[in-house]
Amino acid sequence: MISADLIPLLVATPMAAGVLTTLLRGWIPAQRFVGAVSLALTITMAAYWMIQTQTTPTFVTQSGGWKAPFGISIVFDGLSGMLIIAANIVAAACFIHSFGSISRRHERGWFHPLFHMMLMGINFSFLTGDLFNLFVAFEIVLMSSYALICLGGSRQQLTQAYKYVMLNLIGSTFFVLGAGLVYGMMGTLNLADLARIVAETQANGEALPPGFFAVGLMLLFVFSLKAAVFPLWFWLPDTYHTCPIAIAAMFGGLLTKVGVYTLMRVFPMIFIATEIRTESILTTVLMAGAGATMLLAILGAVAMRNIRRLLALVLVSHIGYLVFGVAVMTDASLAGSLFYMVQHMLVMAGLFLCCGVIEKIGGTDDLKNLGGLHQKAPWLSVLFFVCAIALAGLPPLPGFYGKLTIIREGFTIDRPGAWMLSVIAMITSVLTLMAMAKVWALTFWMPPREDAEESPQIGHRPPRQFETAPAYVGVVMLTSAAILMAVFAPAIMRKAESSVISLNDPEPYVAAVLGEEAWPTTEFAGELEHTTHSLVHEEDHYE
Amino acid sequence: MTLFLAICVTVVLSVSVYLILGRELKEVAMGLFLLGHAAHLSILMMSGTPVLMQEQGGAIIKGGPVLGVSSHMVDPLPQALILTAIVISFAVMAFLLTLLVVMHRRADRLDVNDLASEGRPQLLTEL
Repeated sequence: MISADLIPLLVATPMAAGVLTTLLRGWIPAQRFVGAVSLALTITMAAYWMIQTQTTPTFVTQSGGWKAPFGISIVFDGLSGMLIIAANIVAAACFIHSFGSISRRHERGWFHPLFHMMLMGINFSFLTGDLFNLFVAFEIVLMSSYALICLGGSRQQLTQAYKYVMLNLIGSTFFVLGAGLVYGMMGTLNLADLARIVAETQANGEALPPGFFAVGLMLLFVFSLKAAVFPLWFWLPDTYHTCPIAIAAMFGGLLTKVGVYTLMRVFPMIFIATEIRTESILTTVLMAGAGATMLLAILGAVAMRNIRRLLALVLVSHIGYLVFGVAVMTDASLAGSLFYMVQHMLVMAGLFLCCGVIEKIGGTDDLKNLGGLHQKAPWLSVLFFVCAIALAGLPPLPGFYGKLTIIREGFTIDRPGAWMLSVIAMITSVLTLMAMAKVWALTFWMPPREDAEESPQIGHRPPRQFETAPAYVGVVMLTSAAILMAVFAPAIMRKAESSVISLNDPEPYVAAVLGEEAWPTTEFAGELEHTTHSLVHEEDHYE
Repeated sequence: MTLFLAICVTVVLSVSVYLILGRELKEVAMGLFLLGHAAHLSILMMSGTPVLMQEQGGAIIKGGPVLGVSSHMVDPLPQALILTAIVISFAVMAFLLTLLVVMHRRADRLDVNDLASEGRPQLLTEL
């Protein structure tokens, strides 16, 4: 078995690709080759460790050899593994799609290095087991995404980029402040150590430090901003509207999911740990946010005329499902949320890439000027149809399983208001189907409208033969991944269930990161209190 | 010390909020940077007041010739956090200012209204 110390390679490989493509700047074939090799390597390694999690559920490596709460832990478990594999498959599809869709001018700019650096940040944030390190990983992702949004530098893009940078700068400020306050309060930043302290305080019947929920709320704001939860999603549709489609698909597929992942990792384990769940205001906030996100965003999507904006709003509304699963916080709902997140990454990116091909062939993403594409591009209409019904959650495709689990948990859990969210989720499904049917009908099925403008985009020409081939390859990759996921749905669901157990019951996770004896049992919890560095530190501040 | 830092944070924060609410994009950017500084300052407070190392059972730490021998130490980790955060916010600041320069070249003025007027989504009902 390969040592767990090699897990940072999942971060190092995209980083190496980023550096290499910087050096090879201007030589596009070499850059593409390096990128493809790096993506293939990352997926293979992640799949390898994922298979190994059957026997060892949590792989931990302590960076620099520093023992756990002092150094930075890199943790690979089922949750991070599944998301890393899905994220890298989506990235690979967008990468191949970009060969056929992105202009040479953009590609010769810094597309390749930025792309790999962003992927490095995404993998890093899935792997890190340290709150401050998570902030650093977020910043790597954000820095690359700032530059990717500006790629091309049209006036509109720059304005959107300014808004995006501004909002995320506020988010980052609150993140760093929240992380600092957590350290001041608990004396540690290691997620496993934080989970241990919360559990220990509960076991001893002590109160959590004052302001614990306030810090939780602060971090909730930050992660909700990244995940685009109501009311913090207003920045998203405008941003995705302007950049090249391969980049928009990357953003749509991956960036918001990183936010949801952090919600999933940090809140059930630490800020809304099992014992404080019923009294915590954070649960209520999460549930209200989930409901409002689902319903309001999909209502917006139904009214939109541009496919990109419509897809961006559908994306936001389905973030609501994921947050709903996280807010209900039973084992099954978290598993459903994880399953749905993987499916959503694949399908959403697939739809954005389809939209890219539509723009290539039809010259616009305005539903007014499109029509009759099923004759020009019959296979595209099939691919779009598969992705669209997967997103709406019709039975043979994987979206159904995830939605079913989450909605069922909403009905069975004994918490006021949870059943209302389940009802909203079902209404949202119907409205999603309506929005997707609208796009499919107006773009593919119906003949072009009579008042459609002749050449909708200046300088548009129909694509040459084989020019869109790489774009099709990207779409086919994601669609077939979604279909495969439907075929293996029970197995993937079981894996998801075993992956999220450690969120509600962090004992095995903490034991793996901190060492076997770290988890407090009621007998010697008192002894531990005096020996841990963290509580000594805490006494400094509060006495 | 805590009170002094708290006053500093309050002042910096109020100035930053004032700037963020301004109409010019330059002002907004400056306000955002100040907001970051306020956050960093308040993390500095997490180091706590200096403690005698010997009372905690630790040894006196000998610094280099510049620092001299010190028996009073604060927790150094928040300072390391701030250092990292400062470097990152410095990079973002450079990016945002470059963005402002490029935007100014394109449009000759930098006003908050420019952000609002563009890109109003078209609705299906307008067909």
